[in-house]
Amino acid sequence: MPITKFLILGASLLLLAGCSDTFDDLAPSDEDKRTGVEQNAADFTLANTLGENVNLATELSSARGVVLYFNMWCPICDAHLSDMRSYIIPKFPDVKFLVVDYVTGSVERSRAAQLSNGYAALEVLVDSDEAVLNQFNATMGTTVVIDGSGIVRMNEDYKDGSKLHDTLEALSQ
Amino acid sequence: MNNKKLLQALLLAGGIPFLSVSTAWAASCCGGGSASSLLLPKFTKAMSDASLDIEQYDGFWNRDGVHTPDPPGSDLAQYRLNLGYAHRFAPRWQGSISLPYVWNENDYAGLKSSTRGFGDATLSLWYENFDRAQCVWEVKDIRDLIPATYFGATLTLPTGVSPYDDVGNSFDITGRGFYRLDGNILLDKTIYPWNASLKLGYGISFERSVNREYGNYVEPYDRKLGNRTQVSASFGYTRLLESMNTLTYTLAWSDLQEDEGRLDGRPDPATGFRKRSIAATVAFSTFDKKWVIKFTWSHALRGDGWGENFPTTDIYTVGVSHAYH
Repeated sequence: MPITKFLILGASLLLLAGCSDTFDDLAPSDEDKRTGVEQNAADFTLANTLGENVNLATELSSARGVVLYFNMWCPICDAHLSDMRSYIIPKFPDVKFLVVDYVTGSVERSRAAQLSNGYAALEVLVDSDEAVLNQFNATMGTTVVIDGSGIVRMNEDYKDGSKLHDTLEALSQ
Repeated sequence: MNNKKLLQALLLAGGIPFLSVSTAWAASCCGGGSASSLLLPKFTKAMSDASLDIEQYDGFWNRDGVHTPDPPGSDLAQYRLNLGYAHRFAPRWQGSISLPYVWNENDYAGLKSSTRGFGDATLSLWYENFDRAQCVWEVKDIRDLIPATYFGATLTLPTGVSPYDDVGNSFDITGRGFYRLDGNILLDKTIYPWNASLKLGYGISFERSVNREYGNYVEPYDRKLGNRTQVSASFGYTRLLESMNTLTYTLAWSDLQEDEGRLDGRPDPATGFRKRSIAATVAFSTFDKKWVIKFTWSHALRGDGWGENFPTTDIYTVGVSHAYH
């Protein structure tokens, strides 16, 4: 009898795991539900970690496009940024890459995190009140591509960078 | 009956209750909440177990193995209440279930969050390649050196909330979101009062579909976590108290590595990690081995080169087990 109870308990856990309302949905819809692309990006101005103001429209006027990477200085962000720095940024010199720090809350703390994480050469913007984070409905690892005319061409997780690469390639054509 | 004979009787009746090195590990921004599996001593019919993990975060190793601090003002912690039950089906076969309940309490440079929910549950099945307790008092024959050998399989169930579920941010995560099957081999040898164990594990996760990450929809794709290798070893000493209860002190070392995952079959550079940690356990066991109270401190080794792409944490575990002979 105890064996039966054990098996029933195990089977119940398996069933619960497959119940998307209660636990993780392992077979989500294959429907593409992305939103926020092919729309105009509202202009914004943020301070960078050197204390200078950076304006989206101004950056777009001198670049083929702007990439925003939403960063919280965590292992996954570090993996994304490292990959972007090594394999994406060198290929697209006419694109402006901006890292948006939405967690540290001040220029001084953001600069300290930037230096301790080894990204002194990247331009980091400080989104103290999360206004830009909310504008793009972003979260950790969200990567936004805005073309020269201010249209959002990509707004989703960085993953392996291939989507970003393809989007920037399309901007160059 | 002298102490030696008494303890011999106790060990044969209950065995050493701390056969496995703790594998409790988690990371609230990278998934986690996994419970370690239970393992019954020989001649024990069943065991229920409850433990509380307090995991404190202190920076992380990046992909190059460089230890990096969290942003100033960060205070990250995960608490896990692990409930488990193990049952012996046959003289050589046993199984167990573990289910954690997870609290994430985070203040990440001013970004506060507090979430709770189930973590990933585990189902384990173990086969013991021996019929008699393998603990001895002195080595009289070469056969006395033969360790107890266990072969096990553990299925991790995605009962937690993963990055691919409907979450508000990365701190809401209590599980990894994948089925994973691990094969394990455990070698354990006790020559009173000393004990040593070696555990080897290899796990594969199963591919799944994803159409959202951290709450935001993404272009649908298939994701698979990398294969996992774990090696852990422990060395312990058991002290018999005047009351005939026992205290066991154990030191353990663990090396956990997960390969890069796959995204639609391509390598995923953001995944894959390595974590090396040490652990110290003090366990009090009643003379009849029915009750065990234990405290474990697991420490991830700070410093460059001791891990890759993973948070560095300290895990404090307080637990109690009750065995049914």
